[in-house]
Amino acid sequence: MYPYYTLYAEPRRELDEQRLWFWNSQHFPVPMPAFDVVAIDGPYQAVGAWQNRTFAVPPAMGIDYRIVNGYVYISANYVTDPAKMAERAGFFEKRAGHYFSNWDSLYGEWRGKMEALLAEITALEVPDLPEYESDDVAFGDQRISHVRLLEAYDRTLRCADEMWEHHFEFLLLGYGAYATFSDFCKSQLPDIPDQHVAQMVAGIDVILFRADAELRRLARLAIETGVDGAFVEGRTPDEIDADLATSEAGRAWLEALEAIKDPWFNMGTGDGLYHYYGSWYDDPTIPYASLIGHVAALHAGREIDRPTEEIERERDRLADEYSSLMEPAAAQTFRELLGLSRTVFPYVEEHKFWCDYWFQARFFNKVREFGALLARHGFLEDGEDIFQLSRHEVGTALDELSLSWATGGVPLGPAHWPPIAARRKELLARLADWTPPPALGTMPETVSDPMTVMLWGVTPARLQEWARAADDVDSRELRGAPASPGVVEGRARVMSGVGDLSQVREGEILVCTITSPAWAPIFSKIRAAVTDIGGVMSHAAIVCREYGMPAVVGTGRATATIKTGQLLRVDGVTGTVTILDDGPQS
Amino acid sequence: MTGTPAHTRALDELRSSDADRFGGKSAALGELLGAEIPVPGGFAISVGAFEALLEANPSLVAAIDRAIDGLEPGDSGALDRAVDAIGEAMRAAPLPDDVRAEILTRYAAVGDDDPPVAVRSSARGEDGEEATFAGQQETLLWVRGADAVCAAVRDCWASLYSAPAIAYRARMAADDDAPAMGVTVQRMVDATVSGVLFTCNPITGDPSMVAVNASWGLGLGVVGGEVTPDDFLVSKITREVVRRTINDKHVEHVPAGAGGSGTITREVDAARRKVACLDDAQLSELAALARRIERHFGGHQDVEWALDADATVLVLQSRPVTAVAKPAAAAPSEPVSAMAMVMSQFGAGTTGS
Repeated sequence: MYPYYTLYAEPRRELDEQRLWFWNSQHFPVPMPAFDVVAIDGPYQAVGAWQNRTFAVPPAMGIDYRIVNGYVYISANYVTDPAKMAERAGFFEKRAGHYFSNWDSLYGEWRGKMEALLAEITALEVPDLPEYESDDVAFGDQRISHVRLLEAYDRTLRCADEMWEHHFEFLLLGYGAYATFSDFCKSQLPDIPDQHVAQMVAGIDVILFRADAELRRLARLAIETGVDGAFVEGRTPDEIDADLATSEAGRAWLEALEAIKDPWFNMGTGDGLYHYYGSWYDDPTIPYASLIGHVAALHAGREIDRPTEEIERERDRLADEYSSLMEPAAAQTFRELLGLSRTVFPYVEEHKFWCDYWFQARFFNKVREFGALLARHGFLEDGEDIFQLSRHEVGTALDELSLSWATGGVPLGPAHWPPIAARRKELLARLADWTPPPALGTMPETVSDPMTVMLWGVTPARLQEWARAADDVDSRELRGAPASPGVVEGRARVMSGVGDLSQVREGEILVCTITSPAWAPIFSKIRAAVTDIGGVMSHAAIVCREYGMPAVVGTGRATATIKTGQLLRVDGVTGTVTILDDGPQS
Repeated sequence: MTGTPAHTRALDELRSSDADRFGGKSAALGELLGAEIPVPGGFAISVGAFEALLEANPSLVAAIDRAIDGLEPGDSGALDRAVDAIGEAMRAAPLPDDVRAEILTRYAAVGDDDPPVAVRSSARGEDGEEATFAGQQETLLWVRGADAVCAAVRDCWASLYSAPAIAYRARMAADDDAPAMGVTVQRMVDATVSGVLFTCNPITGDPSMVAVNASWGLGLGVVGGEVTPDDFLVSKITREVVRRTINDKHVEHVPAGAGGSGTITREVDAARRKVACLDDAQLSELAALARRIERHFGGHQDVEWALDADATVLVLQSRPVTAVAKPAAAAPSEPVSAMAMVMSQFGAGTTGS
């Protein structure tokens, strides 16, 4: 089901047991379908190729992963030899220096590369295998169909590799610049809340908020043109569309929606790493839920626009106030680091839209075309089952399909693959009920990798919290990182996957393994967010701060401990979540 | 009042430059009032008033000289006898008429019906730290009536000759000047909650934080360390409460009783003991006030404050913070370039190793 190299195995057992492996539930909260391993290999190949082989970050190489019962555990590789680190420093200073000095122009070129790649994956043709080749093959220069098919499959996978290559080109340097700023702030102001550091750096008009800005505009348009009656809580997008299609004004509104779909419906419904997280094109539940919420808020006389001017003023006020508390020399360094962080941060915030949402939705849809082809030839019962095969197995199936198509012989595939796909679907369903431990292996003295701390919020203190929570499963109080300030109470809505999004009700507290920034629109409904995993720089934390909503991230076991309906108190200042009662029935 | 008052001054007329004549505490309260920071009103008695007392009572001077002459600071029995003798002589010495008249007039101006006041020693500016060290800090709370105020003033002066103060001066032998101090008389706040704040975190040295300790009742409990107070850290920049530790506040000091003088200590009822004694809005107000005080004095301050029955915040005292931790990483003396720091973050660059 998974490639041999993804497993704990005897030859490297001793080494693996000495390392700390933590469950990367931020990126991989549910068991991996076999094909989706492409979204583990791609990023970890790319992050290591940049960090270890290109920039040669002196102490840090890449990230290893292992799959346990379908869940992904990760562990970083370090350089400890001083001579080796000095050698790597020579590379790093020149290469990273070049990026930092030319950031804006390099990022401009980057966007051009991503646009070209998106155009390519969208246009890429998946040829069928006809009974007779066309005249173009016989008389022209068109190449034989199965060669084009195999080439298209290879090219599809290579496009994904290229996307991951682009994804990690800037990310590490961006996070590093931010971490430097954050560390400097803490050296001068030891008690500064992480959220203030983030607030001073965060972008104002970033792509992730633009899609929802368009939806807010459309909610206003619906009211102005008198079609707001269609946006009833509980209706599906199809029902709303059908209602709108009955009137002239409704049809005009639908056209206005159509006009913003490219590019804004390329927002993802999840974080893009699983095949079933499509874009809003594939599943418009999120934008429609958001429209319903915005219309209701406007009816209630509430302000729905992001107060961008206020956010900008506050961000500059924080920076001015904090720098005024420092000695002049420190204040100057603070200003420079803040400037650099603000330069790199747009990439940190925006790459997700281009790569994880837009590209990944197009990529998995392209894979679906291969699935449909295999299903047409009986290799799969359903095209969607292609995701139960690894990318290598799909290559093997396409090889056999090509062969049997060419020879006219009888393929084994139709007998071979469907039972495998069926068995794996059952297995995944069963594995989904298991809650993996947050960490395996040997606890380290320190966690020194800034990526691990910033992105996953994994510090030795956090690991110990997890260990304690595991011993005390009846605990009524969970601790995590305070990611967005405020104290609220409300009923819990525990979500184990994205499928439950439409069940979220006004005023509930969202409890999930990790929230995706693509869920931002439903944040206007909820009162607070609690996650199992995540650092204060995780996108969920950023979105919560934007919405002025308390958030506690990195609790380790919130989804395992809390049940939907329980009354919670979320304290986003101290990072505690308290279960107050067991539900309305109790 | 007849003639120019020589020995007393309303608190709001004082400024820092008056610290030599009226002591540091009175001068700081005058500064606060001048900056329109809410401080209960009152008056200050000058250092000169004490000197006038000595001048008018040669027998008191003789009694003091007799008591401390040849005293061995290590002989605690002799020390106690000296303290008693001086205290007795001090209480027996009548205040000079002009001093007493000024105090009575000033006290009457504080309010009608014998208003309760706090009477505290106000050491001379340059003596402030030494005075703290030597325990010359008398505080008498909920003092009512003109005679009681005059007695409390003499008690403050008597604290110049407390056992630690005498022992301290004996050890420091070099100082030939006779000790002297001012006294502060301030309208008493019937505090529901009171405590201390620092305009920085004294533990980490973070200048962006206000550290607040608070407990139920009058401020004695927090200052005297009899109660483990609630402990808060509030951001000066956003006034959010960044950290809070709610402790078991088992006792409180309250006025002794209707119309009476003095304070009593009592157990805090169970319902309030483990409950936060300040809410976020009050902490936010304290943080704002802390910032104004810090800005006014141009340095970190250690501030005593109280909430009165209307939950209005009042400042009772402010003095410079002398011992502040420096953040673990000292501020660089020269600006470090951002790029050098980023390189160092990644383990590269000249500053990395």
